[in-house]
Amino acid sequence: MRAGDAIKQLILIVACVLALVPTIFMLLTALKSQDDFAANKIGLPQVVVLDHFRAVLFDSPFLLWMLNSAILVAGAVALSTVVACLAAYAIARMQFAGRDLIFTLSTSLMAVPPVVLIVPLFVLYTRLGLISTFGGAIVIYAGLITPFSVYLLTTFFRTIPQEMFDAARIDGASDFRILRHVVLPLSLPALLTLVVVNALFVWNDLLIAVIFLQDDAKRTLMAGISVFQGRYNNQIPLTMAGMVVASAPMLILYISFQRYFIRGLMAGAVK
Amino acid sequence: MTLSRRFTPYLYVAPLIGLLAFVFGYSILRMLEFSFKMVRGIDGPWIGLRNYELVLGQALFWESVGHNLLLLLAIPVMVVIALLISLLLYERLRGWKLVRTLVFVPYILAIPIVAVVMKQMFQFSGPVNEALRWLSLDFMALDWIGSGDVALWTVMLLIIWRESALGIILFLSRLLSLDEALVEAARLDGAKWWQRAWYVLIPQMRGVIEFYVVISVITMLSAVFAYIYIMGGGRGGPGTSTMVVELYIYNALVRTSLPGIAAAVSVMLFAVSLVLIWLLFALRRRAEDERA
Amino acid sequence: MTRNLITAPGFGRRRFLQGSAATLGGATMGSLLGPLRANAQTPELTMWWWGEQELPGLQAYVDESIAAYTDATVTSMLQDTAVVISQFQTAAAAGNPPDIQYLWNGIYHMESVWFGYLKALNGLMSEDTLRASNPTILSNFGGNTYRLGWYPLPMVWYYNKDLFEKAGLDPEAPPATWADLLAACDKLKSAGIEPLGGGIQDGYWSEWYMSHAFVQTLDTVGEAVELFIGDKDFRDPRYHEHWVRLEELRTLGYLNVDMPSLELYPGIDLVVAGKLAMGQSVGSRLPADSTATNGRIGSMVMPVFGKGKLAGKPIVDMQGLGIAEGAKDPAAAAAFLEFLNTPDRLDAFHRTTGWIPSSSRFSSEKIENASVRDMWKAWGESPNITNITNLMPGQFYEQAAIPTGQQVVAGDLTGEQAGDLAARVAQEWREFNPDLVEKYQQWVVDLSK
Repeated sequence: MRAGDAIKQLILIVACVLALVPTIFMLLTALKSQDDFAANKIGLPQVVVLDHFRAVLFDSPFLLWMLNSAILVAGAVALSTVVACLAAYAIARMQFAGRDLIFTLSTSLMAVPPVVLIVPLFVLYTRLGLISTFGGAIVIYAGLITPFSVYLLTTFFRTIPQEMFDAARIDGASDFRILRHVVLPLSLPALLTLVVVNALFVWNDLLIAVIFLQDDAKRTLMAGISVFQGRYNNQIPLTMAGMVVASAPMLILYISFQRYFIRGLMAGAVK
Repeated sequence: MTLSRRFTPYLYVAPLIGLLAFVFGYSILRMLEFSFKMVRGIDGPWIGLRNYELVLGQALFWESVGHNLLLLLAIPVMVVIALLISLLLYERLRGWKLVRTLVFVPYILAIPIVAVVMKQMFQFSGPVNEALRWLSLDFMALDWIGSGDVALWTVMLLIIWRESALGIILFLSRLLSLDEALVEAARLDGAKWWQRAWYVLIPQMRGVIEFYVVISVITMLSAVFAYIYIMGGGRGGPGTSTMVVELYIYNALVRTSLPGIAAAVSVMLFAVSLVLIWLLFALRRRAEDERA
Repeated sequence: MTRNLITAPGFGRRRFLQGSAATLGGATMGSLLGPLRANAQTPELTMWWWGEQELPGLQAYVDESIAAYTDATVTSMLQDTAVVISQFQTAAAAGNPPDIQYLWNGIYHMESVWFGYLKALNGLMSEDTLRASNPTILSNFGGNTYRLGWYPLPMVWYYNKDLFEKAGLDPEAPPATWADLLAACDKLKSAGIEPLGGGIQDGYWSEWYMSHAFVQTLDTVGEAVELFIGDKDFRDPRYHEHWVRLEELRTLGYLNVDMPSLELYPGIDLVVAGKLAMGQSVGSRLPADSTATNGRIGSMVMPVFGKGKLAGKPIVDMQGLGIAEGAKDPAAAAAFLEFLNTPDRLDAFHRTTGWIPSSSRFSSEKIENASVRDMWKAWGESPNITNITNLMPGQFYEQAAIPTGQQVVAGDLTGEQAGDLAARVAQEWREFNPDLVEKYQQWVVDLSK
């Protein structure tokens, strides 16, 4: 049994190492000077150099790019959550013609690949002058994440016991009051999960960002990374410093809120 | 029911319908329309099935499809890795929670970031080859990024590395939700680890494995743009060895000014996705029925 | 002009009278509006541009020029490389183009001309300024000029003088013929130096190779277009010889081993850092590179193997600016462009970027860097030809020009197979874009003059 356990642990350790090697490489390289890296690609830095981080944080648009991504995340998640809450509430707790059809259609849209939407939306947005506008991009992102939001919230709302509604209605509350004061407070875990999954999706997206936000000033972090690595592809430590800065927000959030992340991503994998 | 009562539900779902009709409804209809036109800029003349004819007769298109299909080979590997690691974690040996946290890091990092890092690591004179040469494994120091024969496999390696992490978490969650009694019974019967895994645990995981396979198939066919865009130098290179359908659409739209062609390929990709979505739903319904 | 109107066929007296009435009417209106217009707000112009990516300092120049210009308020936007053309074309198609647009040479803007998105500049700007800016023959169509030259891009082959000396080669006499080149490579290899190459992973090296090598097989620039659109055949050995030569370099082991996985700019850095003896580069890098090496980077024309009339000539590409057909105030846009060509602004260009503005009004004596000055004498001030890769349709660029070089270098294609691929893609282009074939054929006529 002992030997068996040892082998199992060994395999797991190997798995951890493989999982972390790129991150470690990224970090070590970012701390090397250009010459140090050229001479010594694996291994620790001769001298720890922080210049690249300074360059990334203060001389490059990285912080602007992160701000842009944050704006999109905030806008899309807010819009989607509001729309989804209203719709899920109706679908979960009200009777009306077409209810199931709407739910099925909405849920099936979850697996439509975003790439098929870019052609018509790109053309329409150009005509309407919405290319490189936050509003335009937020609407697209919201559209992409709402089907999942509706699905998750509907499933959750359905689990709220009928008695809670009956009690509130006896007290004379309207539908909207019930939603605000009874349903939403009870749904905090589901909402939190939703926010995590959706925020990650919008933050990590490359395709929509690269096509619909072409203006330099509105570039998102992911699009910026692709531009950054292209422009500085002869300065690898600098590029790696950029990557470290770019991954910092998510890594910090992950380490602090592991539980929600994992739970949220599992639910997100349902997408 | 009063009048306001009857209309209220529709008020609640109106924003949803509006948003989805705009983003999806409008797009899908226009995409269909454009696929039958020779579009220059924002519109063009009707040309019937000509776009489809041209695309289906083009070697590059089929090459792209072929590459997407090749990427499907990653899935069995991902499933095996995810099963192995999740089953080992399920043993809950000392420190398993830490391992679980670390092993999920690949999925936390955004694809563009990992692709940029991997691209540097796998340069011909880069760290990976340096390490291999140092270990006297020169024959393995391939031109990971630069050789047309190898490049797609390198991308596949990256995809496996990242997507397996998701599988691990999915499978582990399923395992942790299982009834312990069954496993205990097997252990008491003297079953070895792998016997327990094969005869007791994996059969219980069929639903989640199927689910993982289907979403991975959807990913390989229509969600690898970010990997390819960065690893392939933005062009599906070297040569056309990493060109995939999504990049084909992107190029047609942005680089060669042929929105009609891009639309035609999008329609075909959408049709395939519909089939897969239907399959996904059928599986989930079956899983729900089983659980009930 | 009046005379022509009367004598032109089909032009009756009636129309002439109508025409002159309109002109008179217009003139009257103009004079009435004159005082009103003087009180109108200063015009607002938008300018979409590119170039900071290849010429650091250009952003500073643009900002400075805009701030110094009082006759209009100009808003500028730096575009991403991938969308410079598509963004403009879709905006123009939707009726919302910028007033001033940055335009790469050749097809990159010629397509927009054919779609009616660009205004002819010869009516708007002074003949003198336009000609002095040297927009090159590729900016002309149907007798009009559609671009103002902004800054030149000499296409050069770099060589490292120190490495040449080390291998026993004369650093002031780089190889001129193909035989010279092979001999030089042999000597370099024996001295343990990687002879030539760079980085081809992102594809641009492959495009540049066509600029330098493919052009050697041609007699006229128009011939290149005929090949790209399939009117002539790449399978003819004469027209794919350059890929066969590239294959030769590979089989002889003269290309650097990193070439397939390295990108373009890190590849050029190898020459500058003394790790590679020769490579393709672009003139705008020379100021920084020669300073970094104390002038030990030389510029040479690609050694000649081809028998076309265009072989052996230095290549100068030209980046330019144009005015959109849908611009709300073309005259104001043209005035801003004229402003950029005043002697003060031209000097400022050199000051902020260290590079040469494209105007004969800027004397090359003012160029500070000696290597750059010498290079410019040999490239810009001598007979030169343009970059023929500017003539290829986007589809050919993406699906033939880039993949061919990459695959030959990686050993996946022979030179002859590269020719087959190019021929096939040219035919595919014809099938996918039947509406453009005639335009290109007309362009051939313009370019063969």
